[in-house]
Amino acid sequence: MNLDVIISYIPLYIEAFFLTVKIGWLGIFLALAIGLAVAFVIHFKIPFLSGISIVYIELFRNTPLLVQLFFIYFGLPKVGFTISAETCGYVGLGLLGGSYMAEAFRSGFESVPKSQTESALALGLSRKQLFWSVILPQAISQSVPGILANVIFLLKETSVFSAISLMDLMFTAKDLIGLYYDTKEALFLLVVFYIVMLLPVSIIGSFIEKKARFRTLGV
Amino acid sequence: MGFEVLLKGNNMVRLLAGLAVSLRISLVSVAISIVLGVILGILMALKNPIITVISRVYLEIVRIMPQMVLLFLVYFGTTKAMGINLEAETAAVIVFSFWGTAEMADLVRGALLNIPAIQYESSISLGLNKLQTYRYVIVPQIIRRMIPLSINLITRMIKTTSLVMMIGIVEVLKVGQQIIEANRKASPGAAFGVFLIIFLLYFIACWPISMLSRYLEKRWEN
Amino acid sequence: MKKNYLKRILASALTLALGVVTLTGCGSASAKESPAEQTSSEASAQEQSDSKVYRTLDEIKESGEINIGVFSDKNPFGYVDENGEYQGYDVYFANKLGEDLGVKINFVSTEAASRVEYLETGKVDIVLANFTVTEERAEKVDFALPYMNVALGVVSPKDKVIKDLSEIKADDQVIVISGTTAETYLEKNYPDIKLQKFDTYATAKTSFENGTGVAWANDNTEVIAYAIENPGYEVGIPSLGSQDTIAPAVSKGNSTLLDWINSEIESLGKENFFHADYEATLIDTYGKDYEETLVVEGGKVADSSATEASSEASTATSSEAATDASSAE
Repeated sequence: MNLDVIISYIPLYIEAFFLTVKIGWLGIFLALAIGLAVAFVIHFKIPFLSGISIVYIELFRNTPLLVQLFFIYFGLPKVGFTISAETCGYVGLGLLGGSYMAEAFRSGFESVPKSQTESALALGLSRKQLFWSVILPQAISQSVPGILANVIFLLKETSVFSAISLMDLMFTAKDLIGLYYDTKEALFLLVVFYIVMLLPVSIIGSFIEKKARFRTLGV
Repeated sequence: MGFEVLLKGNNMVRLLAGLAVSLRISLVSVAISIVLGVILGILMALKNPIITVISRVYLEIVRIMPQMVLLFLVYFGTTKAMGINLEAETAAVIVFSFWGTAEMADLVRGALLNIPAIQYESSISLGLNKLQTYRYVIVPQIIRRMIPLSINLITRMIKTTSLVMMIGIVEVLKVGQQIIEANRKASPGAAFGVFLIIFLLYFIACWPISMLSRYLEKRWEN
Repeated sequence: MKKNYLKRILASALTLALGVVTLTGCGSASAKESPAEQTSSEASAQEQSDSKVYRTLDEIKESGEINIGVFSDKNPFGYVDENGEYQGYDVYFANKLGEDLGVKINFVSTEAASRVEYLETGKVDIVLANFTVTEERAEKVDFALPYMNVALGVVSPKDKVIKDLSEIKADDQVIVISGTTAETYLEKNYPDIKLQKFDTYATAKTSFENGTGVAWANDNTEVIAYAIENPGYEVGIPSLGSQDTIAPAVSKGNSTLLDWINSEIESLGKENFFHADYEATLIDTYGKDYEETLVVEGGKVADSSATEASSEASTATSSEAATDASSAE
C-alpha cells in the first residue's frame, strides 16, 4: 500500500463521510417521525389510515432500498415527479426506515399493559395526559433496542446511495478505483471510514441495550 | 408508462430469470449460514475465552460493515491481496454466508444460554441420558427459535441481493437496466414501468416468506 | 480549533486503520473458510499459477471458453436485446474473435469503472467495452491495435445547448460516467465544473433524460448517437480533448493473447471487417456519414483523413457547432 496515495485520498473521503452522515441522519430522523406516526395510527386502530399504514409497512419492509431508490429517482420523473438526488437519498432512507421504526415502536406500544390505561383513566387523567405521560415514555423506552438496531442498519444502507450519483463513501471508493486504479488504498480507506462512522454507534448501542436489559430483569 | 417493453421478446422471462439468480444466491447462502452458524453458535456457548474474543470481533465486523463494502472487499480485494480469483457469484455467496453465519451463530448461542439449567436437571432426573436430553428436550426448542428467524434471514438476503449488481452479476435489476437501455428510443418512459415491476417482483418474492416467518414466530412463541 | 479537531479525527482514523488491517485480515480469512469446498478448488487452481492472473492463448483454447468483458447497457456498442443476446459494434467483433479462436464466448457485463480491475484480476481475458486507449490505462493493461476512433463530446437539451464549457454555470451539474475518459478529462482540466457521477450508462442516460444535469459528457461517438436517437438533444461540443482510439485490452503481460488479437485485427483489415461491423451495428444509428470517421481498419489510424472526416461529420450534426469545436480546441 502506498501511504502518499492514502493521504491524498483522505480529504475526499472526509467530504464523502460528512455527506453520508448528513443524509444518513436526516433519513433516520425522518424514519423516526414516520415510524412513530405510523405505529401510533396502527396501535390505536385509527380507521382508514391504519390500513394504509399496514400496506406501507409491508411494501417497504419487503423490498430493497436500492430498488426503492431506483424507482423514486429514475422511475417517478417519467410520470412528471422529479426530485434531487440528495432529497431522494433521505426520503428513500426515511421511507424504508419508517417501516422498520414503526415495527419497533409498535412492539413498544404493545408492551404497555392495558391495566395501566384503565388505572390512569380511573385516576382521572385525560386521554391526552394518558398518552403523553404514561404510554409514550414507556413505549419509547421499550423500543430503544429495536430503534438502535435500525439506526445501524440504516447507516449501513447508505452505501447504496452511490447508485443515484450521491458521492458517499462507497461511491468515492469506486470512483477513485475507476480513476486511478489504486484499489487497495481505496478499499482500505473505505473500511476505515465505515468503522469510524459505525463503531461508536454500535458500541453506544450495545451499552444502552445492556442497560435496558438489566432494567427489565431487575423488575 | 413503459410497461409495454416487458411484453417485447423474452423481456419478462429475462426479468424472472434475473430474480431466480437472486433467489439462488440467497438460498445457497442461507443453507451454508445455518450449518456454519450452528457450529459456531455451539462453540460460542462453550465460553472459551479465545473463541469469545474472536467471535466478538467477527460479529462486530458483520454488524458495522455494509454488505456492499464486504462484496467489494471480497470480489476485488481478495484477488489483489491474495491472488485468488473468485467468480462474482461465489464472492456474493461468501459475503452472504459470512453475514448469515454471524447472525445464526448469535441466535444459536442465545438460544442455548437461555435454556434454563433446570431443564437439564429435570431431564436427567427423569432418567434421560445426555444424548436423549439434547435429542428430545434442548434441540427441538432451539430449532423452534431458529426456524422463524432463518426464514426471516432469507427475505433479508433476497433484498440484499439487489447489491450484487454492483459486482457485475446480471440479476433482476441489471436486466431491468438493460431492457431500459435497449428500448430507450421506442419507449422513453420505460424506467417507470420496469422499476415498478421490479419493485413488485421483490415484494412478491419476499412478502409470503416474511408472513410465514411471522406466523411461525407467533405460533411457537410459548 | 478546527484544524485541531480534524487532526484528532485523522489520528483516530489512523489508529483504527491499524486495527482494520488485522480485522479485515481475519475477517476475510474466516470468510474464505465458510463455503469451503466450492471455493477452495478454484483457489488452489489459481494459486498454482501464482503471480500470473491471466490465461495464455493456449490455456484459453484448451478450456474451450473465453471471457470477454463488454458493456451491456451502451447501445449501440454493447447492449442486450429483448431476447437476451448481446449486440453492438464491440460485440460483433467479440463474436468474430470467438469464432476464429474456436471457443465459446462467455460475455461478462462490465461497468466503465471496473474495466481495468477486471483485467488486473483476470476475471476476463479481453475487455472489448469501448475502451479508450490512455497512458494511465496502458500502465495497468495492454492495449491491442485500435479498431475505432474517438474523442470526447458534450450533449445537451436543444433549448439550452451548451457549445462551450465556459457556458456552464457554477451551480450547473454535468453528468459523467464514473471511470470514463470524460470524467478524467473534466476532473483534470475543469476542476470547477460540478460533476454528477453515475456508475452505469443506463442510470446516467435516464437521469439525463430526467433533467438532473445541464449536459452529459462522454465519448463523442456515444453522445452523437444519443442526439440522433433523441430528437430533443443536440451535441453542442462534438470534439473535446485529444483524438483517441478504442482498442481491445488484455491483462498486463499477456503477450500470447495480445499478439494473436493484433494479427487478427491486421488480417481482418484485409477483408474490411470493421466496415462490415459498422454496417451491421452502427449504420442504423449514424447513417453512412460517420463510417470513415469512426472505423479504424487493420489497426491503422489514418491521421489526417480522420480529423478531416471528423470535422465533416460534425458539420453533419450542426454546422455552427463545428466552428465552435475548432475554436474550443
